[in-house]
Amino acid sequence: MRNRFVSTRVITWVIILLPFLLFFFSLGLGPYPLSPKDVFQTLLSPFISSINIPEAFSAIIFRIRFPRLCLAFLVGAALSVSGASLQALFKNPLINEYILGLSSGAAFGAALSLVFLGQTFPPQLAAFVLAVVAVGGVLLIAGQSETHLITLILTGVIMTAFFSALLALVEFFASPYALQSLFFWLMGNLSLATWKDISLAGPLMGLGTIILLLLRWRMNVLSMGDDQVKALGINLRREKMIVILAATLATAAATSVVGIIGWVGLIVPHLVRMIVGPDNRLVIPLSASAGASFLILADDLTRSIASFEIPIGIFTSLVGIPLFIILLKKTQRVWL
Amino acid sequence: MKIKIRNLKFSYPNFSLEIPDLILEEGQVTTIVGPNGAGKTTLLKCLSGLLTIPSGSVLINGQDLNAIKGSRRAQLIGYVPQEMTSIFNYTVLDFVLMGRAAYLHLFSLPSEADKQLALEALAYIGLRDYAQRHLFELSSGERRLVLIARALAQQAQILYLDEPTTFLDPKNEIEILELIKKLSQEMKKTIVLTLHNLEMAAAYSNSLVFIKKGQVRAWGKPDEIMTEDLLEEIYGVKIKIIDWNGHKFLIKGK
Repeated sequence: MRNRFVSTRVITWVIILLPFLLFFFSLGLGPYPLSPKDVFQTLLSPFISSINIPEAFSAIIFRIRFPRLCLAFLVGAALSVSGASLQALFKNPLINEYILGLSSGAAFGAALSLVFLGQTFPPQLAAFVLAVVAVGGVLLIAGQSETHLITLILTGVIMTAFFSALLALVEFFASPYALQSLFFWLMGNLSLATWKDISLAGPLMGLGTIILLLLRWRMNVLSMGDDQVKALGINLRREKMIVILAATLATAAATSVVGIIGWVGLIVPHLVRMIVGPDNRLVIPLSASAGASFLILADDLTRSIASFEIPIGIFTSLVGIPLFIILLKKTQRVWL
Repeated sequence: MKIKIRNLKFSYPNFSLEIPDLILEEGQVTTIVGPNGAGKTTLLKCLSGLLTIPSGSVLINGQDLNAIKGSRRAQLIGYVPQEMTSIFNYTVLDFVLMGRAAYLHLFSLPSEADKQLALEALAYIGLRDYAQRHLFELSSGERRLVLIARALAQQAQILYLDEPTTFLDPKNEIEILELIKKLSQEMKKTIVLTLHNLEMAAAYSNSLVFIKKGQVRAWGKPDEIMTEDLLEEIYGVKIKIIDWNGHKFLIKGK
């Protein structure tokens, strides 16, 4: 028993530290590889004037790779924490962060912007607004019956179908050039990451993620049946809304800047539960760091395994689905 | 804590519950009995505040239940459902710890003191060694005990238990009912439960409430009210009561 406890603690620390290590080593990866020493010196150069590094190193690290990895870190953490939280809230481990129609709302928003609105309404902003509108619509339609989870999930399915139809309509009228941009956005991509994206979406992702992190123990209680939750003195309606809004904020902000990156919010919390068990005091924070690691690693691979860059959304689906099947087969659900 | 029910009315589309006047005394076990669909669980849910009472009142030590909200209510009333419905395989300790939610703010984590209270609740029901076991490893009887432990960690003086012995073998059934009796006697908890086993209900309750189709048909001490005529009226079959050394046994009547 003690050995198991110690090994769980060691693994927990590994999960916590891994994204920071991956982040550092990933700064050296790319078409112009940099050694860990070069990366280290470049990172210190703004603070220590005696370090002399080529101008190109600084540009590669600070203008291209650092914002991209920051975004991968934040998006991975936000999507995983949102997925883990919604799985607890909806008492269903197969729920993902897009369950309430968020992804189709965001896709429609991006499509509207790319096809019709152009520069007047940037796709990031349009995706964020429509993602929030989609979830807001679900909550509004479900209305008082939102305490019934099935109603909420079904309304989410309906909203997804509705926005998918609207997306198809926009695609029907789109020019080939606009369609190309739209497909590029829909596949999920980190390659266009800028500091501006991070400064706009980062605080929203951070706020939503931090609220969910703070609610981590409460999530254990919320994962019980509705009557039990109420009998334990929880204001179910209020706390359910807080979780949904925080998860929506984090996921919508992430989706608006990187497009739709599927499977992160489903696979990462499952992996974490396999290792540390279902207690959300551990699952939620470790999902944040494991999600960050997952997306940094996925981004590294999409940049490294071919001469061209594979969109990360396609990659997470291609890797995520078989991985999920293996997990289901091997573990027989015992980690739930 | 003393519970007074006054002219309580609650209705679903094809069902209405009406409880004119009923008093549940502190430190006593009251068992609600009646056929399936009589309204036993609905009554328990009304009493625990899980269903809002549209008409009439439930007074707890003189205070209207409708005026006691959220966490304050959970500090007074513990509700033990029929079954444990967790889809996540928490440890027994983590599950019992959830009973402390009413004492913690939204963003708080349980403290060491909360953990000790949860462990004490487990020790009281005799499952202290089960703290690190997982819920899915437990037998039906152990799961019911753990549900009661969570209500104990809640430190509520009133306990409502919905069919706590259904599907249990006689050993587990007696174990649970002995525990309920102990809780009423040692901790002076006011306990209301629903049961189908009338022999056990008569043996372990200070008073019985017979309900049928949402109406109270009889209320009082088991010895005084449990008659063959009443059972026939309630269940629609002839039942013979055999009294042996103060214990009641029921067999099919002719």
